[in-house]
Amino acid sequence: MTSTFFRILVSISAFPIGILHAEEPVDFAREVLPILSNKCFSCHGPDTKKAKDLRLDSYAAAIKDRKGILAIDPDDLEESELLFRIHDQDDPMPPEDEGKPLTEPEREILSRWIKEGGKYASHWAFVPPRKEKSAPKSAAIDSYIGIAHKAHTPPVTPAPRADLSTLARRAALVLTGLPPEPEVLEKFLADKSPDAYEKFVETLLDSPHYGEHQARYWLDAIRYGDTHGLHLDNRRGIFPFRDWVVRAFNDNLPLDDFITWQLAGDLLPNSTITQKIATGFVRMNPTTSEGGAIAAEFQAKNNFDRTETFGTVMLGMTLTCARCHTHKYDPIIHDEYYSLLAFFNSTAESPLDGNKYDHGPAMKAPANPAEWELLDAFEKKQEGATDPQKSFTSTTLIASELPKPRVTRVLQRGEYHSPFGDPLQPDVPAVMGTFPDDAPRNRLGLAQWLTSPDHPLVARVLVNRMWQRVFGYGLVRTPEDFGLQGEQPTHPELLDWLAVDLKENNWDLKRMLRLMVMSRTFQQSSKRRPDLEDPENRLFARGPGFRLDAEVIRDIALWSSGLLNGTMGGEGVKPYQPAGLWKALMHPASNTKDYVQDKGSRLYQRSLYVYWKRTSPHPMMTLFDAPNRESSCVKRSRTSTALQSLALLNETQRIEMARKLAERIITSAKDDQQRLDILYKLLACRPAREKERTVCLKLLEGMEASYSSRAEDAKALLSTGDAPVNESLNQIELASWTQVVITVLASDIALSLF
Amino acid sequence: MNFSREHDLNITRRQLFGRGALGLGTATMAQLLGSEALAQTPDSPDGLHHPAKAKRVIYLFMSGGPSQHDMWDHKPRMREMAGKDLPEHIRDGQRITGMTAGQKTLPLCPSKYEFTKQDNNDQGVWVSELLPHTAKVAKDLCVVHSTFTEAINHDPAVTYIQTGSQIPGRPSFGSWLSYGLGRMNEDLPGYVVMHAKTNFGEQSLFNRLWGPGFLPSEHQGVLLRSQGDPVLYLNNPKGVTRTDRRTQLDALAALNETQHDQFGDPEILARIKQHEMAYRMQTSVPELMDLSDEKESTFTLYGEEARKAGTFAACCLNARRLAERGVRNIQIFHRGWDAHGNLPREHESQCKDIDQACAALITDLKQRNMLEDTLVVWGGEFGRTAYCQGKFSEKNYGRDHHPRCFTTWMAGGGIKPGITYGRTDDYGYNIVQADGTPIFPQPTKDHWTPGSVHIHDLNATILHLLGIDHRKLTYRYQGRDFRLTDIHGHVIKELLL
Repeated sequence: MTSTFFRILVSISAFPIGILHAEEPVDFAREVLPILSNKCFSCHGPDTKKAKDLRLDSYAAAIKDRKGILAIDPDDLEESELLFRIHDQDDPMPPEDEGKPLTEPEREILSRWIKEGGKYASHWAFVPPRKEKSAPKSAAIDSYIGIAHKAHTPPVTPAPRADLSTLARRAALVLTGLPPEPEVLEKFLADKSPDAYEKFVETLLDSPHYGEHQARYWLDAIRYGDTHGLHLDNRRGIFPFRDWVVRAFNDNLPLDDFITWQLAGDLLPNSTITQKIATGFVRMNPTTSEGGAIAAEFQAKNNFDRTETFGTVMLGMTLTCARCHTHKYDPIIHDEYYSLLAFFNSTAESPLDGNKYDHGPAMKAPANPAEWELLDAFEKKQEGATDPQKSFTSTTLIASELPKPRVTRVLQRGEYHSPFGDPLQPDVPAVMGTFPDDAPRNRLGLAQWLTSPDHPLVARVLVNRMWQRVFGYGLVRTPEDFGLQGEQPTHPELLDWLAVDLKENNWDLKRMLRLMVMSRTFQQSSKRRPDLEDPENRLFARGPGFRLDAEVIRDIALWSSGLLNGTMGGEGVKPYQPAGLWKALMHPASNTKDYVQDKGSRLYQRSLYVYWKRTSPHPMMTLFDAPNRESSCVKRSRTSTALQSLALLNETQRIEMARKLAERIITSAKDDQQRLDILYKLLACRPAREKERTVCLKLLEGMEASYSSRAEDAKALLSTGDAPVNESLNQIELASWTQVVITVLASDIALSLF
Repeated sequence: MNFSREHDLNITRRQLFGRGALGLGTATMAQLLGSEALAQTPDSPDGLHHPAKAKRVIYLFMSGGPSQHDMWDHKPRMREMAGKDLPEHIRDGQRITGMTAGQKTLPLCPSKYEFTKQDNNDQGVWVSELLPHTAKVAKDLCVVHSTFTEAINHDPAVTYIQTGSQIPGRPSFGSWLSYGLGRMNEDLPGYVVMHAKTNFGEQSLFNRLWGPGFLPSEHQGVLLRSQGDPVLYLNNPKGVTRTDRRTQLDALAALNETQHDQFGDPEILARIKQHEMAYRMQTSVPELMDLSDEKESTFTLYGEEARKAGTFAACCLNARRLAERGVRNIQIFHRGWDAHGNLPREHESQCKDIDQACAALITDLKQRNMLEDTLVVWGGEFGRTAYCQGKFSEKNYGRDHHPRCFTTWMAGGGIKPGITYGRTDDYGYNIVQADGTPIFPQPTKDHWTPGSVHIHDLNATILHLLGIDHRKLTYRYQGRDFRLTDIHGHVIKELLL
């Protein structure tokens, strides 16, 4: 097959579904602009240096007369220079040495576009989302997915519904990061009423595990870590912020407040303790206090980090390019980067952290659920509740503003020692709308701008990441980039509908997730469809199926084994970790050079609470694709590696969890088949299938035969991990079952959403 | 419409074993990648951008900033200027770290060590007495005196040379190679990182230095450790034999196949393969680490230290054994070079750690006809100052961080042997032209100045030797085609055979 053939396919499939009708006029924003951006803008885009040089990023510039030559000639479109140049064999545009030649379909689209008038339109993501007038009144998700199915050639029918137990497992994992509790599952499966699933979903949304699971995605995005991140990588006081995030999700704090408190809780009138704790967000950037570090340098670097993370998390935009020069692709000019940065440039903390845990400003904050209760009571003005802050036993970093703002100037080429031009006032990139007239020019104003009804990006970016959590892939497959170089949404009208709906309904996250998991689209079977060539599920013509994240994989095993410690929050926990990992990396002066493993119940807290040392996160996290949290991550990779296999089968906690799960099933039933069914019900929400039963019982039999002559080995296996062994059980049987459970826990039913 | 092509494009990287974005099997890759990957289309029959001189790289990274003054950059005139203040025109506005910024004077500090001129294939090279063994392989070394960076503190500087950016978040050098080259041995990791022991660990390393950044995380470096399991979780738990594991894996494959029959998810099949590879690694790694098949002469060459797990010498020997087994991408990190105070005591110990082993590695590779296609790189993140940190004394001194020039050497893998490149002024402070003419302002990363080697140039040159055009090895993230060398980098042709 020729590579041209592949090229056509690749470029076609980058377009949204359902708009590929050759007879329709070319859609500038969806079809033309991505080509111009990728192939032309690096020389003819927003960053074009000289006034006389051609720019192709606006209609006005493209039709400008340049000594009689017009890139687009509105009076004689066929004579447009652009047409000639893209077809010029001898001196083609883009030039060969740029290494990005146009493909034939791209040339075709550009030609059609010019011949149809060469008109420009805004990039889709910069136009505020609207619900179409013809928008479906109900079941919008299924309607829009269905419209695309019908428009597809050949038309597509949705997959059949997943069976109820699979659906229950799927919904529970998506919402809470854990399988459903057996009694909740039983109740759901026995409930024949029409709203049985809805009630089941409500139970999940009400579970405290919901907030824990949803928080984890946010912590990835905002690069939460328990250490400063640079050089000594010392401990930092910040976990109360993490616990606040969990509580905010469980309380279903509207997302506009969720954003505002984090960006500017300290600037709200009469701000509460909770709102101040939320400003830990502003302090999340990695910091250093390396001997010799220059404060001004890190003032700049910290701000770069904050501004760019803000761009990724809130705007779905990469701003990094504009740190050094006007963006090559997206219409963000150099000055605008620094105007945006100016919002962050006046926070009160020293740019060097002093390697201190409580690198101020910091405040006392709740260290555990009991202390949070006191705070709740006080802030809800319950009778008799007094200000509990003095009694709090932990510290958390917060943001506060200097009385007199720092001066912000453009930094030439992003170098901290090369400021130039006039002082800039805090402002937002023009292409994303205007800053509200009545808003203060500080972080609070920035939050007001973000959460204003007409903001083009925030709601889209947020619902896209929700969709990604629920369906495995976003409607925009580049959740980190909604700019010109990002992918187009596969279902643009649906994305917009969801974004508007979120805003119209008080930024209610639970409501939005409920809409998604209640959709017929979500409830489809996830079986791959041989009738469709759609391995990445761009049509959403099957249910979601993907490998689960590191935390979920560990939590499923903790939960099923009965070891899970439900304590919510507190100082990060330190489960088993191979000795010496931190020591091999760390400076002797670092207070995180020694990994002191926890004892007792702290070994079994949910993975969300595992201590996050940014220069060396827990290997059971990083081996399964967790980011290091030094920089923002809004989409984890999902890899399969041999090292994961070793970890699944050999790591201490995996063995311990398997043993406790083996004890649980042995003590729950007398019969091996029943025991196996219990195991499968916990992990897959259904009894073992015939073949699974055969395989597992054969393995059990083989292990029993083997261990009966190797009692020492059986004992050794059972001694792995701190949890006490149930000595009343037959140790050969327990060891053999442990082996079976290790195997089942390493199999797809314990690793994947399906 | 055919979505499977787009998917193939994504999974090919992940699932084709031993295949990188380039390298073996990339004819397929190039086709699959289509137009978007034209920038990566190989021009060479072996699937690379151009024929590779080096099949593998062993990178000896000296973390902390080894002192070029005391090891490689001989400055006899400094003796006359001992204790005098660094002239302003030599400092030329160079910013200095917070550690010496407050010093009233910057007293020039000649090295206390004797240098001897060693024959090479050109004008000879001066080597200090701290490196007696390395001096003997001078004919194989290409010694670059003019490596430079902008960063002046460790964390940003190490992050810069290893990821191309001073701010964390980018893929590491090794991950880029893993992504570009893939692997040749399916029973060992493709990218191996070792941490060598040191007596002076006043230095931090970070996972990001071998981390994948935004590349798929399978490209992260795999630690080969001297403590506990050599590869994390390599060994079966207590009470589980290899036979047990085999039985278990067969059952696991059967369970996964059931699930695959039910759902058809191709990732399940990929996972079955990975379990098998893990099983093979459980023998291939111990075999790698078992030195009993080494002759006595090996230990004569590398020194007795090579028998002690975790020493730099043992790491070098492991590196050779890895290279022999087709591992293409090997890095050894040796900490402890940050000599602010007692430089003589610290550097003497540090050099003792590495000297014999560096020379042995080169000799060993050469004896096995592997040096010609194995690139060995030695260097740190920056150099050290010509002036003394704290009070000057001829016998004991310290030096602060110096970004403007430092010494790096390379050997084998298509590098011109037995030459020096780049020259510094009489203070070892600034890069000068070959004839000694000063260059003011100093070279920058933006425009290559003959005789200078910015760290991006160094990385570009290393990639070039491996058959990769540093401008073409890209990965799109956040709408931008990122590369190791950012928007910089110049292949230093003068260093190539």
